[in-house]
Formats: sequence, structure tokens, C-alpha cells
Amino acid sequence: MSDTPSTGTQPTVAEKIFTFVDERVGLKLLAAKMLNESVPGGSRWAYVFGSILLFIFIMQAITGVLLMFYYVPTADHAYASTQYILHDVDYGWFLLSYHFWGSTAMVVCVFAHMSQVFLWGAYKKPRELIWLVGLALFALVMGFGFTGYLLPWDQRAYWATTVGVEIMDKMPVLGDFLARFLKGGPTPGQMTLSRFFVIHVMVLPAALIALAGLHLFLFRCAGPAGPFRGAPAELKAKTDYFFPRQIWKDVVGMAVVFACISAMAFWEPVVLLEEATPDPGDYHPEPEWYFLFIFQHLRLKMFSGELGQFLGSMGLPGLLGMMLVLLPFFDRNPERNIFKRPFALIGWVMLTASILLFTVSAIINRDFLD
Amino acid sequence: MQPQLKSKVRCLDREVGEVSKIIMDPLSHEVSHLVVSMNGTGERQVPMGAVQVVTDGLVQLRSSSSEVMGMEPFKREDYVTLHEVEIPGLEKQIHVTPGEVLVPFPELERNVKRRAFFANLTYVTGLFIGLPLVYPVMKFLMKPMYAPLDNGWLKIGNIGKIKTEDIGIQFQYKRKIKEVYMPEAEIEKNVWLVKATPAVLEKVYQGKDVEFLDSSGKAIWTNKKDMPYLAFSGKCPHLGCAYKWRKHKVLGQVFLCPCHLSIYDASGKVLDGPAPRSLDMLPIQVTAGGEVQIIDMEFKAGTKSQTRIV
Amino acid sequence: MNEHISPTKLGFGILWPAFWTGLPFKLAFAVLFLAFGIIHFENRIALAFVMLLASPVTVFAVPTVTLALGSNIGEGPGIALLFLLAIPIDIWSLGIVGRTFFLERLRREPPGGLGLTLWWKCALVGAIYVPILWVAQGAITEAAIAGAYSILEADVLRGIPVAEGISIKLTLWSTVATVALLVLFVVGFSLVGRMIRRTVQSAGHAPENYQGLIVRWDLMRVPLDQGWMLTALSGAAVVLSVLFWFSLPVFTPHPHDCCKKPEVMAEPPFKPLEILNENEKMIARLAAQVELLVEQRAKSELDKEQSKGKGKEGTEIVEAPDATKPAAPTAAKQ
Repeated sequence: MSDTPSTGTQPTVAEKIFTFVDERVGLKLLAAKMLNESVPGGSRWAYVFGSILLFIFIMQAITGVLLMFYYVPTADHAYASTQYILHDVDYGWFLLSYHFWGSTAMVVCVFAHMSQVFLWGAYKKPRELIWLVGLALFALVMGFGFTGYLLPWDQRAYWATTVGVEIMDKMPVLGDFLARFLKGGPTPGQMTLSRFFVIHVMVLPAALIALAGLHLFLFRCAGPAGPFRGAPAELKAKTDYFFPRQIWKDVVGMAVVFACISAMAFWEPVVLLEEATPDPGDYHPEPEWYFLFIFQHLRLKMFSGELGQFLGSMGLPGLLGMMLVLLPFFDRNPERNIFKRPFALIGWVMLTASILLFTVSAIINRDFLD
Repeated sequence: MQPQLKSKVRCLDREVGEVSKIIMDPLSHEVSHLVVSMNGTGERQVPMGAVQVVTDGLVQLRSSSSEVMGMEPFKREDYVTLHEVEIPGLEKQIHVTPGEVLVPFPELERNVKRRAFFANLTYVTGLFIGLPLVYPVMKFLMKPMYAPLDNGWLKIGNIGKIKTEDIGIQFQYKRKIKEVYMPEAEIEKNVWLVKATPAVLEKVYQGKDVEFLDSSGKAIWTNKKDMPYLAFSGKCPHLGCAYKWRKHKVLGQVFLCPCHLSIYDASGKVLDGPAPRSLDMLPIQVTAGGEVQIIDMEFKAGTKSQTRIV
Repeated sequence: MNEHISPTKLGFGILWPAFWTGLPFKLAFAVLFLAFGIIHFENRIALAFVMLLASPVTVFAVPTVTLALGSNIGEGPGIALLFLLAIPIDIWSLGIVGRTFFLERLRREPPGGLGLTLWWKCALVGAIYVPILWVAQGAITEAAIAGAYSILEADVLRGIPVAEGISIKLTLWSTVATVALLVLFVVGFSLVGRMIRRTVQSAGHAPENYQGLIVRWDLMRVPLDQGWMLTALSGAAVVLSVLFWFSLPVFTPHPHDCCKKPEVMAEPPFKPLEILNENEKMIARLAAQVELLVEQRAKSELDKEQSKGKGKEGTEIVEAPDATKPAAPTAAKQ
């Protein structure tokens, strides 16, 4: 079980370097502690989502940095520079479209990851902290989507932001301040673009890296939850280490996600609308698809009026968020098998179905506007 | 109470040895086996089920000494120490005196060949993700690096400004540039002109006209050797600073670069300092009315030969 | 312990992992073909993904569905090629998944050539069942949509606002459609399970204990000649990457005629002042052009006149420029 196979003859240069570093930092011990983590019940394809999220984030960071080589966050050049990336720079369309679809993949995988943790009962003692940090990470991912959407500075971007900030404005007490803080003034303009840009490329990445690190640390403290059923003999027989089988599965999962995002970039490359102006012309404003369900349910009559608006835009999502935060403290039953937790199962199905229904409703709703 | 290392182990009939190692179960975090050193006759692996009672310094077994002798011999290679694996929370469960505490080495990890295979497969799969992006990303970054050369003539002023021969006179001119998505803009540049005496002209041309080529090798202009006006690019060939026409205590009137003290005479030849080549001559023409036109060129600094970059 | 595994569980237990096992390979080719521009997917990309994912059962059903039922997932020769390439991939993935399932879940000795046997059985069931599922699901969904609309059009419910109406209709018909789809899927899996059952029953019991079985299926994934396989895979990565580099469009690819997306175009907003300015500029430019033309004509006429005019006198030609001249400068001034 040595990581450096000895050839029996003179040590190679790589082995010498390894030994040199090992003597000073205890590389072998470190590697063993990092990689030889036993996975109860063995490595599984179902466990790849966390690593895939990390991978998507790294790819978003790489493509994002590449885009920043050309993008300028000023109201008079943001649109032109984005068009320049799309139409003049070699392969710029691919990197931009990858970045765009990568955000979609991120949201999809976050939802899958959270659903899995919820259904597997992996948020229960002793993993409450991992769940809480995970929820904060979820909020950050949504923040990334919201701030990044404005940066191309076309009509779609401008109007999604306008509506989104209006929603934020409905928050009691803090709403007006927050909306003005984000807009950098009473109406969206250059300051909004600057603020969204800084939040998107500096604040959120820093926060995400820190929280993701904490998430991983907490995960290593508590260890993987493992399957919620199975005889001990079966679990023992299948047990292996995080490295190499689980890492291999993670990497294959990453390759699949990479291929899917690339395919989406080919299928629908990013195309900009007209440059942003406070006059929508013939355009029907709409947010990015993962905010569509909130957008759509605000069209319902029950969420009209000041109170209704507050309930629809802030109250209900806030309540759902609070419930998710409090979930591990409420649910103290150690039972993890989802088929023995009917409320959890029904709740998850209802929530997922309603998100799907309202998203599709919003898409059908487009026909009524033309 | 958990069994202690070095505790004596007593069977129903007699004492057989002492606890030499403890094996933990990674799933339940409980002690699963004791390894008993049999007073010099090897080690036996005794399941916790066979333990009747544990007291301070003594482990009482339910079985007889012959039964224990008949138990599975302990195979060290099937186990790893806690230093070699990460099982969160396990160490908190152990109350034994520090020593060799073991956990089973998972069956699936015992074959080094398989471990190596999956590890290598990981790298290869990573190749499928990384490699496709290398070329597009390089091309993406390289887009503005190699702009085509512009060979248009620019008017820079009237020759009447030059009164004396063999003196460097600076001409400023404006040049339009269109950078990527930016609107068209103007930048100010300068060039040094010298009205040369025949002696200086001979130093520069050495009897031959100078031909300027475009990037495909086609001639775009020839500076005739008998034309008395010389134009030098305002960029010092040493490291690209802007040089000046100055008076030198020993060498008299010279072109002097303030950055690293390269000194050139009126013909552009290096008199002193670190410059690797003479000043860069530009294509120049003077109309009948005395209007001077040049082709704006810049050359790579610091090299012995000229390489045009603008 | 698994003598009486239900056919649905059997079918699902083999097909589900087999779908995912083959997917990474098929996706690599799909991306490459997209880069080559020999595949264009239509709006229903999720459907195309599912068809590709389920290629062990859809491989023969895709032509039926496209040709006989006139339902496209996209255009281009790449789709046929992709499904052709999927055949060996599926045989391999069904083989490895099947052997695992036999050893781990059924504790039976997997027979030789299991991949091929499973593949043709799945493909056969799929060739017949998937078009049936397609038609049935289509009919049910249509009926459900029609039903939902007719319910909402009843007089009592006329007053429901648009947004609520949309969601209620959608809930009604999508519930019916989802339940129908789930039932059809279960039937499909159980059909595959029934087809496979004979192969299972004829297989002998595996001799090892559980740990032995697990180690065996784990070893199945490790090839005898690791070095060769890793080199071959690295080579494939290099070749595919180079192909990708040369086929990836440098600029945004234009969608194929078949698969143009309904483009959301924002009309340029109406800015009266700017448009006025632009119009004025254009008028000025045109006026200047007219002036130039007239001058040129006058000049050439004058030349002609001079050459001819030695004999004649032409007064009427000289008048033309005089007539247009006053108009041009006023236009240019604006």
C-alpha cells in the first residue's frame, strides 16, 4: 500500500523529491489522511454531485477569468466588449456559452445535491453544520446567477435585474436600503453594473471558496454518511477508500458534465439582444430560468396587493429557507431511510413538482404575450 | 470497560498471554477483536464475543486455552493503523493505552495493481476534460496579440522647421487607432528628423538605398541615399525608452536615452552605452511643398537585428 | 435469496446502470459530432438526451419513431452514426453491468457473451415497445391537454385569471401524463425483465462468499494489460481532442435550418431625437451626392457642348444646374 512503488534499484528523481518533501511536511501521512478515507458501503456513483459542483465552480472560475481578459464593466463598453467576445475573438462564443450553461448546470447540480442529502437523511446528527453551510453555499450560487445575468448589459440582462431588485425592495425594513445598495442609486445604471461586477467576480467567489472549504472540512470531521440501508456484512465487503475508486467516479462524472455543458453551448450559443436601455422596446422582460417559478407565481391573483406581493416574493421563499435551516434541529429522529420518513418524501415531491409546474407555466405563459 | 493494551489474557484454564493489538470496527466504531500475543507462540485474533469480562489489566475469556490456540492466527497485512486511514470520530472512541490500534484494511484496497489502475484511469479521464480546451483557450487569448501592420503614410509637419544640418529635431504627429471594441481614438507619437550633411548620409546609407518590406516580403518604399532627410523612430532600440537630442560634455550634440544612457550620433550610430543597434530609420518622403510624410513603424527593442512589430 | 426477483426489478436493475455506464462514451462522440456540425438537435434536447441515454432500447426504435411517426429529435447524418456507434458501447456496458448484477444481486455465475445476449433482447423489446409507448404517451398527453382545456372552458370556471388558468391546466394534464408515463415505464422494464429471466434461470450459482463476489466484480473492471489500456485511452483522448480542436467553430455556429430557435428579439427602442438626427444626416448626405452628380453632369454636358458647340448654340442645357443648385445647400445645412 505504498504510494511510491519502489523499483528495488536506485530511487528515481521523482522519488527523491517525494522523500525530500515527505521528510519536511509528512507528505505520506497527509496523503494517507486525505485519500484513504474509508467510504462506508463503498464508493458510489450517487456520491459524485459534491465533487461535480466543485468541478463546475472551478470551470466557471477558469472561463470567468478568461472572459475578463476582454470584458469591461462599464455601461458604455460592457455590451460592445461582450459582443466582441461573441463575434470577434476566436472561440470566445464557446467560452462565453460554456460559462452561461455552466451556471445552469451549477443550479441543477446544487438542486440534485441538496435533494440527495435531504432524501438520504444525511443532514441529521452529526452533520447539521454541513447542511447549514451547504444552504449558505446554495444562496451564493443563486447570487452568482443573479449578478452574472446583468453583466452582458443587454435588454434581457437589464430587465431581469430591474425586476429582481424590485423583488428585493419588498423586504420589510431593509428592502429599500438593500435595493439602493445593489443599484448604487435610485435606478439601475453604471453603478449597478460596477456593483454587480464586483460582487460577481470578487465578493461571491471569495465567499464561496471560504464556505466550500468549511463545507469540506466539516464533511471530513463528520465523515460520509453512507447508505441508509444494507447489512453490515454487505457494507463491510464493499467498503473502500475515497482514493482511488471514488475519485475516479467523480472524475468520470465531471467528464459527463463537461460534455453536457459543451453540448448545450453548441445547441444554444449565447446571443445578445439589443443594448440595455430603460426602454424595453418590444422585449418582454424575464429572469433566468431558475428564477422563473418565483417570477411566475407573482402573476397569480393571490399574490397581488402589497401584502400578497410581500408574501409571494419574500414571505414564502423566506419561510421555506427558514424551514430548511431549522430542518436538522426539528427532525431529530435518527431514521435515515427515506421510505420510512413519509413527511419528508411527500414534502420533497410537492416542492419539486410545484417548482417544475410554475417553471413550465412561465414558459407556456410566453404564448399569451405574443 | 475497554480492554487495555498489555493486559494479561486469561482463559478458562490458564493465562495465555497479553493483548498486543486492538482492532476497531470502522462502521460501529467499537473494538471488534483483540490480538493476543501467546507467550511466544504467535499471535491469535480473538473476537470480542469470546471475552467474558474485562477488568483493570486483565481480560477474561470464555474459552479454553486450546480453543484460543485453535483460533485464526493474526495476519498483520490485512490491517492498517489509524495513521494510514481517515475514519472520522474513531479515535474519540478509544480508551486504550496508546499503542498499535488497528482497523481492517478493506478487501477492495489490498491489490496495489487495482489501486494504481484506478488512479491512472483518473488522470486519463482528466485528460478528456482538459486537453480539448487547451487549443481554443490559447487561440482565445492570442486574438489581439498579432495585429496586421499598417503601411499608410502619415503627414507629420513641414520641413521648414529644420534650420540647421545634423541636428535632431522632434516632430510630433497624431495617429488614429481602433482598438478592439473601443471607439476609434488618436494617440500622439513622435519621430526625430535630421537634415543630414553628405558625410552623415554616407555613414547611414554606405552607398546603398534602404528598402522597406512589408510582412509578406514585398517592397513598400525605398529611402534614396541622396535624400538629405533622415527619420528615426522615437523609440530607443535598447529597451524602448524615449530618447532626446542633448549636449554631451565629451561627444558634443548627440541623441541620448535617459533610461540607460545609450548615446547615438546624428546618423543614429551607437557611440556609447548598452544599445545593441543603431536608431531605427523610418521610410520618409518630402513633397515639393516641404510636407514630410513617414510610415509609422516600431521595432522590437533589445535585439541586434530589426524586427518590426507595428 | 434472489430466486424470485420481480421482472420489473430485474429489468430496471440492469438497464438503469447500463444506461449511465455507456453514456460518457456516447456523450464524447455527441459533442464531437456537434462540433463537426453533423448533428443539429431540435428544441427538444432533453428528449434527444433521453433517447441517447436509453440507446440500448431505443436503438431500433429511433428509426421507427422518426420515419414512421414523423417525430424528429434533430437533423444530420451524425444522429444515425451516433446510434450506430452506441451499439458496441451498449453491448460492452450491458456486459459489465449484467455480470455485476448476476454476481452481486443474483449470486449467479454470469454466462459467456452476456452483453450481446442482453443487448439483443433489450433492443428487440425496445424496437417493439418504444414506438407503442411513444404513440400511447402522445395520445394520452393530447387527450389530457384537451380534457384540461375543456374543463377550464366550462362556464363556471371562465372567471379564472390567465396565470392561474395556465397552472391549473398544466397541473391537470401533466399529472395524468406523468402517471401514464410512469406506468408505461414500469411495464417496459418488466417486459425487459421477462425477456431476461430465462438467461438468469439458466445460470448456475456462483460459488464464492459475498466478499469473494464483490472482489470478483471489482477485478472485472481492471483489465489484464493495464498499461495497454491506459495508453489506448490516452491516445483516444489526444485524437479526440485534436479532432475537437479542428472542428470547433471559431465563431458562433449558425443553427441548421431545421432547428432554428424561436429568437427573442428586442426591437431597438424608439429614440425620436436620434432617429431625427440620423435622418437629417442621411438627407444631407444624399443631397450632397445629388449635387455632385448634377455638377458632374453639367461639367460633362459643358465639355460636350464645347466640343460640339463650335457649330451650335445650346442655351437650354446650361439652365439645368442653375435649377437644382439652390435646393441642395439648404438641405445640407440642416
